[in-house]
Amino acid sequence: MQTLYCRPSKVSLALPIVLQADETSLNSARAALVEALIRTGQEDRDAFRAVYRMTSAKLFGICLRICVDRQGAEDVLHDVYLTIWNRAGAYQPGRASPISWLATIARNRAIDWRRRQGRTRAAPLAEADTIPDGAARQDDLLLADEANARLHECLEGIEVRQRSAIRSAFFGGLTYAELAERQAVPLGTMKSWVRRGLLALRGCLDADA
Amino acid sequence: MPTPDDMVPDTGPDMAAAELALGVLEGDEREAALRRLIGEPAFAADVERWRDWLAALFADWPAVVAPAAVIARIEASLDARGADVPVAANDNGARWRMLALVASVAACLLLAITTLLMLRPAPEPVRVAVPVAGPPPLIAAMAPTGKGTPVAAAYDPARGVVRIAGAVDVPAGRSAEVWAIRGTDAPRSLGVMADATHAELAVPAALRGIVAADTVLAISIEPAGGSPTGAPTGPVVAAGKLNG
Repeated sequence: MQTLYCRPSKVSLALPIVLQADETSLNSARAALVEALIRTGQEDRDAFRAVYRMTSAKLFGICLRICVDRQGAEDVLHDVYLTIWNRAGAYQPGRASPISWLATIARNRAIDWRRRQGRTRAAPLAEADTIPDGAARQDDLLLADEANARLHECLEGIEVRQRSAIRSAFFGGLTYAELAERQAVPLGTMKSWVRRGLLALRGCLDADA
Repeated sequence: MPTPDDMVPDTGPDMAAAELALGVLEGDEREAALRRLIGEPAFAADVERWRDWLAALFADWPAVVAPAAVIARIEASLDARGADVPVAANDNGARWRMLALVASVAACLLLAITTLLMLRPAPEPVRVAVPVAGPPPLIAAMAPTGKGTPVAAAYDPARGVVRIAGAVDVPAGRSAEVWAIRGTDAPRSLGVMADATHAELAVPAALRGIVAADTVLAISIEPAGGSPTGAPTGPVVAAGKLNG
């Protein structure tokens, strides 16, 4: 088990990179983020900087992918962290993982931004759909877990067009109309693909529960 | 462009919760799903479950190192905010507590006034002494959706602040989030109540236009720290319309 940290000891919470996540390092990375969030809620700027170090690359990746425009992505990232600063006071270790909560904020802010800009600046389909399928997840300490693996397994089990549409919607922040336009299929066809894909996905995930 | 294919009514299983979590809905379909989110606890739970599932996809998202200028800008914004809002600064605790107390007392008074107004069949115009210059506040008695007492809300347009007073039953590990709903528009978050009995929320400049007479204020129960999506995901515990 080889584990590489950018920095030693105490600040290992700053952007830990592991080649192979084990349960202990997964839990400690999460615990470090939760603790930093709680201290951010007590207006601890150092803790806030730690949250930023641990999460900003992931959140910027999300903003950039959805906004496409680099300046827009930076603006959104700025707003996302101000939101985190403001809301961290109410944060309590909940059932969802903290990085998912933060990533959801970033994704939604980025989608809001892009929709305000109109569709002209949206990513071309090729761009929105080129997220490596599962390639990044092996080294993502904050996100690797069993539920994660299960979702990917189930997603791989559904029909390719359905899977591709669902992934494009998630990563590109695309609506039905945008998905249909990019794939040059009727809106009803796209809805049917996505719905059938989601239905199959639910069946698979429920069967596992 | 709609085609005849699109005019066929949607049939098959109801996947609206998944569609809302995935973010593919827009327009009327999205509004309808958001209304169900508020009105149907089972639907809200389903949306939350889908969000948890889909969150696994965040792992596939390639990380990109943000330019150093961004954190510098964030720090500058926080510094500027600290200067503009001294009550939030750590070294000003006493003043902050005093303001909170004043706000809380004011909101309690408003609750009493609002309750009285509600009890009167044909209320006479009542003049409320307003301690600040500028337009008078708008008040709302937010009726509980279950058991409990009304929650009072007052919006001060001069300061752009919503004050809330009343007991909100917040389960452990959850947060109460306040929403403004204008007409049939989607709810917009005004922030999370750090305390279940009173709160003072600064309304973002972009939202001040929609916080006005006849806007509905609502409180929902959300995951700790507030809705991760920007839309309510949990049950609404109190709601009421703002009146001048």
